[in-house]
Amino acid sequence: MDETTAIAVILFIILFPIIMTPVIMAAGGRSEKLRNALALATSAVTFLLVISLYPFIMRGDVVQHTFFEILPNLEISIRLDILSFCLAAVASFIWFLCTVYSLDYMAEEHGGSRYYAVLVFTLGSCLGIFLAGDFFTLFVFFELMSLISYILVVHEETEQALKAGYKYLIMTIIGGLALFFGIIITFEIGGTVSLGVGSIIQEGTLLALLAFVCFLIGFGMKAGMFPLHVWLPDAHPVAPSPASALLSGVMLKTGAYGLFRVVFHGFSVELIQNSNWDIILGILAVITILLGSAVALTQNDIKRRLAYSSVGQMGYVLLGLSVLNENAITGTMFHIFSHAIMKSCLFLAAGAIIWKTGKRLISDMGGVGREMPFTMVCFSVAALAMIGIPPLNGFLSKWTLGLGALDANLTIYALVLLISSLLNALYYLPIIVPAFFEIVGENENSHALQLIVRDATPRMLAPLVILALCTIIFGLSPINIPFELSRLTSLFFLEGGLM
Amino acid sequence: MEMLIRILHNYYYMVAILLFVIGMHTMLTHSNLIKKVIAMNIMDTSVFLLFVAIGYTYGGAAPIVAENSEILYVNPLPGSLMLTGIVVAVSITAYALSLVVKIYRFYGTVDYDEICLIRSQE
Amino acid sequence: MGLEQHFPALIIAILFGIAFLSPLLFRWARKLSAPVLITTLAMATMMAVYLLVLVYQGGEFSYYMGGWPPPWGVEFKINLLRVYMLLIVLAISLWIMVYALKDLEHELKQELMGWYYSLYALLVGSMAGIALTNDLFNLFVLMEICAISACAIISIKEDRACLEASFKYLILSAMGTGCFLLGVAMLYMVTGQLNYDLVNEALPAAIELYPNNMFAAAALFIVAFGTKAALFPLHVWLPDAHASAPSPSSAMLSGLVIKIYAFALFIMFYQVFPRPLLESIPINEIVLWLSAMGIMFGSIFAMVQVDLKKMLAYSSIGQIGYVFLGIGLDDTIAVTGGFYHLLVHAIMKSMLFMTAGVIIYSTGIRQIKQLGGIGQVLPITMIAFTIGSASMIGLPGTGGLISKWYLALGALEIGRPIFVVIILASSLLNAVYYMPIIVNAFMQQEEFEHEVKPVPRQMLIPLFVGMAAIIFFGVFSRPVISLLENALQIFF
Repeated sequence: MDETTAIAVILFIILFPIIMTPVIMAAGGRSEKLRNALALATSAVTFLLVISLYPFIMRGDVVQHTFFEILPNLEISIRLDILSFCLAAVASFIWFLCTVYSLDYMAEEHGGSRYYAVLVFTLGSCLGIFLAGDFFTLFVFFELMSLISYILVVHEETEQALKAGYKYLIMTIIGGLALFFGIIITFEIGGTVSLGVGSIIQEGTLLALLAFVCFLIGFGMKAGMFPLHVWLPDAHPVAPSPASALLSGVMLKTGAYGLFRVVFHGFSVELIQNSNWDIILGILAVITILLGSAVALTQNDIKRRLAYSSVGQMGYVLLGLSVLNENAITGTMFHIFSHAIMKSCLFLAAGAIIWKTGKRLISDMGGVGREMPFTMVCFSVAALAMIGIPPLNGFLSKWTLGLGALDANLTIYALVLLISSLLNALYYLPIIVPAFFEIVGENENSHALQLIVRDATPRMLAPLVILALCTIIFGLSPINIPFELSRLTSLFFLEGGLM
Repeated sequence: MEMLIRILHNYYYMVAILLFVIGMHTMLTHSNLIKKVIAMNIMDTSVFLLFVAIGYTYGGAAPIVAENSEILYVNPLPGSLMLTGIVVAVSITAYALSLVVKIYRFYGTVDYDEICLIRSQE
Repeated sequence: MGLEQHFPALIIAILFGIAFLSPLLFRWARKLSAPVLITTLAMATMMAVYLLVLVYQGGEFSYYMGGWPPPWGVEFKINLLRVYMLLIVLAISLWIMVYALKDLEHELKQELMGWYYSLYALLVGSMAGIALTNDLFNLFVLMEICAISACAIISIKEDRACLEASFKYLILSAMGTGCFLLGVAMLYMVTGQLNYDLVNEALPAAIELYPNNMFAAAALFIVAFGTKAALFPLHVWLPDAHASAPSPSSAMLSGLVIKIYAFALFIMFYQVFPRPLLESIPINEIVLWLSAMGIMFGSIFAMVQVDLKKMLAYSSIGQIGYVFLGIGLDDTIAVTGGFYHLLVHAIMKSMLFMTAGVIIYSTGIRQIKQLGGIGQVLPITMIAFTIGSASMIGLPGTGGLISKWYLALGALEIGRPIFVVIILASSLLNAVYYMPIIVNAFMQQEEFEHEVKPVPRQMLIPLFVGMAAIIFFGVFSRPVISLLENALQIFF
């Protein structure tokens, strides 16, 4: 595959879902089956196309192509390097699985056409973020994605959903404005915002610090960094479960991806380490991890607990970005992969439980494991991965991050990782254990194990099973492709292969 | 002292500015709408006075061409410009007064404070 | 052909001519009056396009009225910036008029329509004249015509609120004109010239002898143009005037009238006043801080309004602040941003007022809290409102982002990032008051209860044109930006 084909494929990947959005909207007016089939086909085709770029990436090539100039020195361009590929692959994979899951979950709900159309559009804009070639294009797609996913957040149109959506919208706009400020300062200092020119800002002046802080606010708000995470625990639970899975699993990663690009392309590793700005990131990451894990303990609604858990887990990603050595970057990248898989699995499983039994509160979920064994097994596997039990993938990412922290003599970070693993155990195990082993009810026959299985439908279970298998396969096994890609990514960035 | 002599020498300009300020102040502070229109006229008239006074040259003759063209003439340009200006001011006054008539028909008063009171109650 | 060289005067002449003829046509050939007006506006727009082509090919040129060169005659100067303003005025007036033809039948009494066309033509003609004129006294006369016709298109709807608002606008406008004329007197006293370029040449020598006149003139000009262009704190007439007027008048006033005076301020300080003198008086600082306050206060006041059109009017105060911010920052990039914002805001705000007009026409609702669920019955209108609001907030893909980009870049270039913070804060405030309307319009659970009159297609087509224009100017901004950069070179 040569460069022109790659450019064409990338353009198609971004534009195809966006073009299919009105088609799906129109098809929804005719027949539901047609609409569902089109949505499924769109996400499948997009996923396959992203995977088809794998050989191109493994050769080590980078694509950076400009389409046209909007303003002087400000272009719309695309870029494909190993980081973009990793994230695009994860995004399109999870998206495909969530679309399969939605087929049954959304069958009874209202507003189906709107849901599928927005789902597909958000896929396109998410891929646009990952495949953008300069900060301005990234900003355009970032705003598009954030604003259109508002429609997913308020899908239920209950009062609670509208309030959560309003908070989400205001914080998104604040983040977008901060991003705008950061981009314009970068443009002013460096004369360009393209990702293809190495590091743009060379000196740590006060204006550069302002730009860094603005980028932190803008991308950190999306990634759920303390103190800008306040929209997350309200917005993720009120969305329909597949959308929650996408919001937590993929869209948070766009914030992390943005920070990646800022650290490596906007500034440079030396600059950040010399100016001690990585300490800011490190402190915020530590607070995020501990806060997210601690508050998750107090939540009784399962989706809120999972949302706070996401806050904590994204802190790991930020921690790795603040340490900035080989193991840390590998750990960060791999944690992006594994968290996407684990958290989507958890949200989809929680959604299956809510869909089948209507129970949202953890205190009501005793004995659910016996009614819905497949779902709960998948949930447990993903939860154990989150805690960091070997040989699952969560263990590998924490291990690598810990190694990175120790390499940089930041033992305290390794300690924080251990404490948060303990906290993770403290809030996941009380869900899993009572689900299987708790006896509900007080009468005499209650201790007889009842094996009436009323599990979710196969179309909802298949994504769960696939994701759970992924956590096992991509753990400590020899065919761990994401880990290879993560290590290649960190080598790519740290050896200076930015062009 | 020298300043005072200069002011007294240019009393046309001082009177014009004084009238301008009187007109502007009345227009903004008095509440009767007719007074506002009158004050607007005073303000505009003062500027016309200033312009015409600018045109005067000491020892100049009326600006009608005579036999020998060496005589000093008063500058006719500001005067003719101000004719246009007066026409403009008259048209604004006419429109403003017609608005006042309409307002009186709708509100029953030409006092601006009372009109505001009526508006705030609607 | 000999006619082409007279296009500058002809544009204004045909507009004033149709202003004269319109009541007569309306009385005796009613069906013809609207088409004739539209045709005249279209012809004027095409003549302006021709002038643009001429300027691109040959550079700037002057047109002398009656063939008399200055200082005896009135000069019209045709350069890129003036033709840019001329095109904006004529094209947007034509666009609003197409919308107005249907909307006015509902807002005005039938027999007044012919007079409305006449006033509209006078307004457009005077604004075109202000864009082109190069003479101070000619500017005064055209400003007065503009003031009367602007007040009249508000008071022609004989409603209690309209009359009071129109009178307030007239009085404050007359005060502004009085100050302007006094400023001209100050300049004429010491230079003896009324043509912009001749004053520019004669001022430095005159200031040696009489240094105080220039300060007085500058102060008076800021007050005069500030009152008419709604610069904070001289904006007090705007909310009532724009909110109570009929919707096409609101669109015209908010979209064009206040802009032409911002343009006149720019020309006054950059063409009439010589550059070194301008730098010795801190005019830019004053305009800069007043505009910053206007931006913030306009947005803050807009948040607490309950009437839709009043909210849009306060929003206009904030947005004209952006144009003044560009002028105040005194840097090529910032002024480019300010003038680009002039174009984009003219389209956006006119379109928003037109959507408000459609809502009032079909449902009679003016209060924001009654707009819940209206997206289901008036989808096209609310989508137009959404795109207009997105442009106000400055979302990428719309023209609002481009102008904000340039303004922010200009602020950073001269090393004052505080103004970027002000621009961004006002974007956030804009979001806070536009977003709830859109969310309520589309996401409301209950059905919309008021009765809905069907909206004629003639009122919807301008909305489509507006939406397309906003997105076009957001994506393809290069041509206009390069035009502005060329146009502003002579001033810096």
